Amino acid sequence: MTDTHCPYCSLQCGMRLVRRGRDLEVEARPDFEVNEGALCRKGWTATGLRGHRERLTSPLVRDRATGELRTASWEEALDLVASRMTAVQEEHGRDAVAVFGGGGLTNEKAYALGKFARVALGTSQVDYNGRWCMSSAASAANQALGLDRGLPFPLADVEQTDLLVLVGSNLAETMPPAARHLDRLRARGGHVVVVDPRRTATAERADTVLQPVPGTDLALALGLLHLVVAAGAVDEEYLAARTTGFEAVRREVAAWWPERVERVTGVAAEELRALAGRLATAPRVMVLTARGAEQHSQGTATVLAWINLALALGMPGTAHAGWGCLTGQGNGQGGREHGQKADQLPGYRMIDDPSARAHVAAVWGVDPDDLPGPGRSAFELLERLGTDDGSRALLVMGSNIVVSAPDATRITARLEALDLLVVADVVMSETAALADVVLPVTQWAEETGTMTNLEGRVLLREQAVAPPPGVRSDLEVLAGLAARLGSPSHFATDPAEVFAELGRASAGGRADYAGITHERIRGGQGVFWPCPSREHPGTPRMFAEEFATPDGRARCVAVTHRGAAEQPCADYPLHLTTGRVLAQYQSGAQTRRIRDLPDTGPFVELHPMLATRLGAHDGDRVVVATRRGELEAPARITDAIRPDTVFVPFHWVGANRLTNAALDPDSRMPEFKVCAAAVRT
Amino acid sequence: MSSGERLVVVGSGMATTRLVEQLVAHGVARRSRVTVLGDEPHAPYNRILLSAVLEGTHPEQALTLRDPGWYAGAGVALRLGTRVLSLDTARRDVMLVDGEVVPYDRLVLATGALPTLPPIRGLVRPDGRLHPRVHAFRGLDDCRRLLAALPGARRAVVVGGGLLGLQVTRALAVRGLETELVEGGEHLLRSQVGAPAGAVLARALRRLGTTVYTGTRATRLTDEGLRLDTGYTLETDLVVLTAGGRPSTALARAAGLEVRRGVVVDEHLRTSDPHVHAVGDCAQHGEVASGLVPPAWEQAEALAAHLAGTGATYTGSRSVARLRATGLDVAVLGDPERAAGEGGEVVEVTNPVAGTHRRLVVRDGVVVAAAFVGDLTRIGLVTQYFDRSVRLAAHEPGALLVGERTAPPARLADTTEICACAGVSAGAVRGCSSLEEVRATTRATTGCGGCAPAVRELLASRPALTP
Repeated sequence: MTDTHCPYCSLQCGMRLVRRGRDLEVEARPDFEVNEGALCRKGWTATGLRGHRERLTSPLVRDRATGELRTASWEEALDLVASRMTAVQEEHGRDAVAVFGGGGLTNEKAYALGKFARVALGTSQVDYNGRWCMSSAASAANQALGLDRGLPFPLADVEQTDLLVLVGSNLAETMPPAARHLDRLRARGGHVVVVDPRRTATAERADTVLQPVPGTDLALALGLLHLVVAAGAVDEEYLAARTTGFEAVRREVAAWWPERVERVTGVAAEELRALAGRLATAPRVMVLTARGAEQHSQGTATVLAWINLALALGMPGTAHAGWGCLTGQGNGQGGREHGQKADQLPGYRMIDDPSARAHVAAVWGVDPDDLPGPGRSAFELLERLGTDDGSRALLVMGSNIVVSAPDATRITARLEALDLLVVADVVMSETAALADVVLPVTQWAEETGTMTNLEGRVLLREQAVAPPPGVRSDLEVLAGLAARLGSPSHFATDPAEVFAELGRASAGGRADYAGITHERIRGGQGVFWPCPSREHPGTPRMFAEEFATPDGRARCVAVTHRGAAEQPCADYPLHLTTGRVLAQYQSGAQTRRIRDLPDTGPFVELHPMLATRLGAHDGDRVVVATRRGELEAPARITDAIRPDTVFVPFHWVGANRLTNAALDPDSRMPEFKVCAAAVRT
Repeated sequence: MSSGERLVVVGSGMATTRLVEQLVAHGVARRSRVTVLGDEPHAPYNRILLSAVLEGTHPEQALTLRDPGWYAGAGVALRLGTRVLSLDTARRDVMLVDGEVVPYDRLVLATGALPTLPPIRGLVRPDGRLHPRVHAFRGLDDCRRLLAALPGARRAVVVGGGLLGLQVTRALAVRGLETELVEGGEHLLRSQVGAPAGAVLARALRRLGTTVYTGTRATRLTDEGLRLDTGYTLETDLVVLTAGGRPSTALARAAGLEVRRGVVVDEHLRTSDPHVHAVGDCAQHGEVASGLVPPAWEQAEALAAHLAGTGATYTGSRSVARLRATGLDVAVLGDPERAAGEGGEVVEVTNPVAGTHRRLVVRDGVVVAAAFVGDLTRIGLVTQYFDRSVRLAAHEPGALLVGERTAPPARLADTTEICACAGVSAGAVRGCSSLEEVRATTRATTGCGGCAPAVRELLASRPALTP
């Protein structure tokens, strides 16, 4: 019997794994406070990938003569990867080899991967799919609050607030056990608001639903703050004591009167006034943003606008109120803290900060001057692959780029143009299928490692079973390659040892893990970072006294609405937005292979008025087209979506052939959540 | 504009604010020398919200759009309280009332509009000033003066039944005054909507306590009150003139620029002199001099882009006029009367009983104009369709005007999924006898808990076992 956590989303529900003969079964773990024993069907069926016939158990190497992948020994595969990486770097320079990680990797792996890039390869070209997840929220939080911890309070605080505003979150489907908090909040008399172009399962559990045009959440926030200012409901005392910069924000929102916002957002001025009235009078207000608000070319500005609203109401840093981001991937939080981000070193240190470089270089036993500088963001790294200006070899760990990259046709062509593509994965993902070398690695339940959930709570995922013969852990893969590449720094393979090193590297950084050990969090409730010492209890709630900025004050950053990069036109008259469904996770590489999870394939949500215009009936195959690609899938007709918008889930190949890679100037987040589209029958 | 050139803007209203913001965004403000000459003494403010200030729903200090410090920081010289007396296009300079001459390489006229004085005797006293009981409502000073007059006033008459007249009437009523509204045309909002909509609006206004006189002109202001052409005299403490405005063109006209209703501009917002541009309420593009903020801003954006050398052009605006007044819901998209007159197909629903009127004017499937009174439930979507010229199918205009259909709750089919977390159907729940059994055998309710009410209902509606 092993107490551990679910392999999927950022909630990291506690669960118990029990061996019954050859089977491994999931049982509830009611003592773990985040989910109190509750799980969604993905969690209940999580062991279904064990022993799957598609599980990779031997390294594969592409045969130059036949072009087919053939099995190879680990020695051969690792020798080949190391020698070809060395050859590429000798010919084209250090940055010619790039590394791409994922927000699902444990902290230990994320840390080792970043270290591997900087020390073993000496490349600046390392980034990860978290760039496509919550990076806009991270960028906004760093600017406004001085620190990026998705939720600066435990998730259960949601129940104690008075007015909860969920912007672009469908948590009832993406992290179902979290939705219990909405029900309890409402049972207490609280009010739940959902802002989403679709009336989702989450919206069904809300008191107020606003359905703005995709890409206009920013204008909505400006309009709400305009009304809050007009109502005299701004907490002037709080702003004077705890913030700077609000006057510029006040001037900016003076230009966003409700009728103007109505024209931009499609939300009636009256709905806006009603919500502003609630915001102005609720004692405690909590605003939570998620991908719907963040995955835009103005995603950072959008989050800043909602933070400004929370600051104007005097909420951040007070009990059961404020702003937070609902991180998506399992280790979306920890994955961004320990150095797989292009501009960061462990402990959420910035790579261009000399003191940060000195600290981390000392832990790694290298000269700070030998560490590379900041590299390119995820999409920018990928779109240059195989070009004169980009890397020629790529190591991918914990990501399925072919399915999850925006403008995926273009990116897939870049992967195909590489001299060397190495993919470490559990199954033959769409990306692994393109690789020159595929390395089979251990998965959840076969390995131990820490995860940091959406609350900043560091948890231990325990090994419950032995891995199948033939697979190695990602840590072993990195250590094996590092040794072959002549790394000046040692790469440990024991997760506890790696975590201890991570603790030292993060010590004194913003995300300080120094006081956390595997032993300390085994079987318990986890510890919230920052936790600088063994004696430190961890930090469940932040900002009560001061913000993490140099002067301790939050920054109100004036932002304005520009709109999505691509607007509907005569040829592409609709908005396309994308998202998740309950039974699948991310690119579906895990979930689509689990028998007990229904694999519906992609579908196209259409409003009945639009369906009638197109002559489409429920279940008819329709084609969604954008300037970048097409997808054919059955129509699903529902009045829960705006009539000018279509929705496609992104778990299957195709959705991201449609999406637009216009990038946010601060976070470099692509505009996954809106582009112009046409639908044909 | 080339580096170091002098750009002078006459006027500091909303069009100018937008223009300067965009010049800053394009980098023009940094590389050229921009001067704004505004005759009002106030920092540029949001004129749209003046009626909300009058109503008391928006504080005056929250009107400011940009502080003088912002202009200074952007490298723009903002000179307030500065009136321009004349323009010399040959010498390329403007002269201020104090005699100072300000030269330019490019000039932008953003002089706005002036309120029209209706032909009522006694409005203007022999010394040329308005009668003390008479108020215009155009700028912040007008608004302040009217607010200052409210404490001693019990009754007010608003002259003019357009958008501004309705807003001011409601604002004064909200402030507790007895209000009467006089409109010379046959119905309210006559330049925007048809008679049925105007009638619905008048009814709504009467229900809110305002007496409405249409088809009636005020002729004379005396000590007894405001005399109407019906012979009736309205006793009143205040008379507010909202009978429309006209483009402020005196400067342009005197300088010899082409002026019709407004200062005539082309697709680069250029007047008949290539070094002089005009934007906003004072400008006329094609046949249109709109007087609304959104077109003024679109012109300002296009001009800033043009001055930045992007090759942008202005081809006209779609206007959306929205009434801002507590208790009255009005939206006018485009020009519904004209569009209908020009052969657009009209789809409309009028319900005087409910006080609603909704009209769409459709051409080739595209909503080219619309008027909504009393019911704005679909305004967000209709505006999107209007702004984006979405081509609709034949059924859609009608579907947009009828309310959302509400279907009666049906008995759930056994195959309907009740619990999405665990994938449990209604049939599976019906097969259980208790909540405990449901939890143990299906795991329904153990995830997000959202299905708990439905599960309880299904269990409660199980047919009773007969012995």
